[in-house]
Formats: sequence, structure tokens, C-alpha cells
Amino acid sequence: MSNTMKNSANASQKLMVFVLTMALYGLATLFTELIPKFQVGIVEFSVEYFLFIPLTLAMLFDPMSVALGAATGELVFGEIMLGQFGGLGELEKFITVTIGVYIAGRLVSNPENRKLVGIAAFGGTAIQLLLGTVVDILKVQFAIEDFEAVAGLPESVFATEGFAFANDLLFSGILFCLLPTLFLVPKLHGKIEPLLGMQPRTKETALGNIGWKAILGCVVAFAVAVGAEFLAENGMSLIDWEADWAESSTAFAIGMVVAAAVAVVIVLVMRMRTKSEPVGKDV
Amino acid sequence: MKIGEKLSENILDKLSIDFLRNQVLKNAYGNNDTVIAGMDPRILLIWYLFFGLVPWFVSDIPFLIGCFVLVAVTTIMARVAGLVLFLFGLGVFSQTGYLLIVTLIFGGDASAIAPLLILTLKVATVSLASVTVFSGMDPDKLANGLMWYGCPERLSFSISYAYRMLPILMEEFQNILLSYRLRGNPPEHKSFIGKIKYLVYQIKIIIHSFYPLMLNTAKRSRTTVEVLEIKGYRYAAVNKNVKKIRLSCLKMSNNDLLFLAVSFLWIAVTILVSTLI
Repeated sequence: MSNTMKNSANASQKLMVFVLTMALYGLATLFTELIPKFQVGIVEFSVEYFLFIPLTLAMLFDPMSVALGAATGELVFGEIMLGQFGGLGELEKFITVTIGVYIAGRLVSNPENRKLVGIAAFGGTAIQLLLGTVVDILKVQFAIEDFEAVAGLPESVFATEGFAFANDLLFSGILFCLLPTLFLVPKLHGKIEPLLGMQPRTKETALGNIGWKAILGCVVAFAVAVGAEFLAENGMSLIDWEADWAESSTAFAIGMVVAAAVAVVIVLVMRMRTKSEPVGKDV
Repeated sequence: MKIGEKLSENILDKLSIDFLRNQVLKNAYGNNDTVIAGMDPRILLIWYLFFGLVPWFVSDIPFLIGCFVLVAVTTIMARVAGLVLFLFGLGVFSQTGYLLIVTLIFGGDASAIAPLLILTLKVATVSLASVTVFSGMDPDKLANGLMWYGCPERLSFSISYAYRMLPILMEEFQNILLSYRLRGNPPEHKSFIGKIKYLVYQIKIIIHSFYPLMLNTAKRSRTTVEVLEIKGYRYAAVNKNVKKIRLSCLKMSNNDLLFLAVSFLWIAVTILVSTLI
């Protein structure tokens, strides 16, 4: 990194890129969340991604800010604003989107090179979808206890997930990621950067090839995503143990009910008091 | 045939951008007077932590049904917008309903129903809990609550920013889209091939309209960040005193405690029932 001064944006420019990506990708995911998917048999036709937005921006600006902005935008606009926040599952999506977009952005050293842009756009989408599929299969495996015991279920999960992956990659991947990126990147290159007060990315000012550090970081991040799912598995055995223990002591459950009832009564009494007194003291 | 046409027309009507915008805005700003909206965000987040995580780990059917009933009641209390509930139903079905059908195709039998019922209850409970909390709460309150728990400043900033910018962004996107439509010449869409061409044309327009939108948003985000810098945002974000002042509006009331206590009572009763069965 000898040319640090030239290529890396300063902190406020990174914030600008973050805000820009978050707003745009958030808006797009909001639409995709609201438009119902329609299925023909098990073939799902969905406008799954407007992933071309962060892909395009990642090829033009600092990839890390774009990747984080895109993931945050999806989380905030697409999930929290619609009240669809899904807990653990969102962490996985956050991480896979970040990895996919970041790698695609790092791959492109020169936005004028169309071949490179195409490969990076397709590759980024493929990485994101593949990671998502792996985590999805693991998730169903952990969520249903008797996964192997139910006849026909393992095959059906592998079949549907594998099919969804191929379908997404060929349908959404080409139509909504590859083609729009190929259209937008050359068009925006050199036009959008000055609006944020930056130099356009050229061969000389590119961040350089993906080093071991970046790959290692991606692997660790994916491990965290899978780790969240393994946490689910461990929790499962924990509760099994708890269920055994709960069966043996109905008395304990009764105790809990009594304690809860007492708590409700105490709070009710406190409430009555604060209502009768004009100056209520906050707890 | 005529009824079918009318129905599809009706659905297409409902799916206009205006409708989507209204629903989203209603969801975000429309219900500030409900019981849920009046509560302390910290309490609600703790509550959510329980109902968003615990059901994943428990496979006991009475307990799951109990949790589901409770979050269904709170969802009604939060008066969530219709579209969100519709999406919730669709989401639950697409996660587990189709799995049941596919399992049957692959030679499974009725034994598949019990684990899938458990999975459905889990998914439904967790997503209804999140609908209650994230859709019933005021966005600024939510951002404050998250900040109190030490979430990154970036996240709470993003939430507040998103809620304020969303109406403007949507309007701008709609304007650009309409201007493209006005200037464009859509293909005939009577026949089947024409319909496909029309769909491709629509998608193309949407993608094209992101070009001016990207440039406009770039300008706007620069302005936003510059204004934030003038106010010393990046310094304030890490300063403890600023955080303290900002969070001083959070107050816990007896209502919050009552909510927690009643939820606890209900869960205790369901555990009791599940041990008795």
C-alpha cells in the first residue's frame, strides 16, 4: 500500500459511501420484500436481488464501506422497518451479503474493463448465494430435531435448496446482477465519484489484488455465520436436558407460576398507588 | 372469467407504489398511540430477546403454542399494518408450508406433520415477536433503545436516517420512474409474448431509473455527511456525555413492569401445563 494517500478515501468519504449504499440498496430491498414471489410448481420466480446496486457501487468506491452499507441497508429498510427482523437468520444474511459484495468490489481493478466487471458481478452473486444455501441447509437440519428420522425430508431439503440456488443464480444472477452491472458501471464511472469528491478508480489507484488477509477475513466471517447456527444446535440439546428436568418437578413450575402471579399483583398495586398519588415516582 | 379479470385488476391496483408507500409509512408512523408504542424500548428489547430466541431451542408443543398465543395477542395490541401481516403469512407458508408438500411428494407420510408443525410454530412465534417490537415501536425509540444496549452508533444512526429519508427517496424514485414511463413507448401486451416483452420492458425501466437515482442520492448523501460533520457527528458518536444526554429521555414506568410480569406469568402457566401433560 504505497499509494495510500491516493486511493483510500478518508473517513467522512467512507461515511458518504456507506450512507449512499444503505439508502439505495435499502430502498430496493424494501420493494423486493413487498412484491410477493410467485411460484410455478417448485420453481420460484422472484426478483430476489437488486444486488446490482451494491455490486456497481463496490466496483467504483471503497468496497468495505459499500459492503457494510448494503448489508445494513437491507437489515434496516428490508427487515426492521417492516417488522420482519428474524434474529439469528439476519446475521447470516448480513455476513453473506458483505462477503459477496466485498469480494466482487475487490476483484475489479479497472472499472473500464468490461470482462472483469462481468466476472466479478457474477462471481460475487454466486458466492453470496452459495454461502446462503449452505447456511440454509444447516439451519433446517438443526431446526427439525428428527431430521434424519422423517422419511423423505433430507432429500427434499437438499433438492429444493440446490434447485433454489441454481434457479437464483441463473435467473436473478444473470438478469438482475450481471446485465445491470455491465450497463451501470461504465456509465457511472467517472461521473459519480466527483459528486463525493473522489478520484475515479483506475488501474493505478486500485486497491490491488485480494491478499491472504482478505480471504482469511471472509472465512472467519463465514465461520461466525455458521457458528450462529451451531449455537442453535447446542441450545437444542440444552433444552432437551431441561425438558427432562422439568418433567420431574411439576412443583418447580407451580412455584414459577406463583412467583409470576405475585409479581403481577405487586406491579398492579404499585400502579394503583402511583395513580392515586399525583406525583408518581418512576421506578 | 370476468370476475377473475376484476380480481387480478384489483390486486394490481393494490400493488401500486402509492399503496406500498402508504403501508410502509403507516407502519412506521401510524401507530404511536398503542400500548406497545408507549412502552420503554429497553423492556421491549429484552422481551424480544426472549421470544425471538427461546422458541428456536424448545420443541415442546404446548410451550410453543403458549408463546404463539402471547405474541399473537401483542401483535393485535400493536395494531400492525395489514400488508406486514400478509407478508408474515406468506413468509411462514413459504418457509414451511411448501416443505410439507415437497416432503409428501418425496414419499414422506403423516409422520412429517409433527416436526413441521413445530417448525411452523417456531417460525411464526419468532416473526410475530419481531413484528410486535419492530413494527409497533417508534423508530427513534428503537434506535435509542439499541444505543442504550451499546449497539454500534452506526446502526441506530442508520435506523433514524432510514425512517426520515424513506418517504423522500420513495417519492423521488417514483418520479423518475414516471418520467421514464412518460417518455417511453411500452410494447403491446395483449398476447402472451407481448406480456413477456412488457414485463422485460418494465424491469428495464426500473434498472435504468436507478442511474439518475444513484447520482442524485450521491449528491444528497454528501450533503448529509457534510452537515453531520459540521455538527461534529463523528466526535459525538464516541463521546459518553453526548450519549448520556441523548438517552436521558428513556424512562421505565409501571406499565412496562406490568407487561413483563404478565408475560412471565403466561409463560410460567404454559410451562406448568406442559409438565402436567
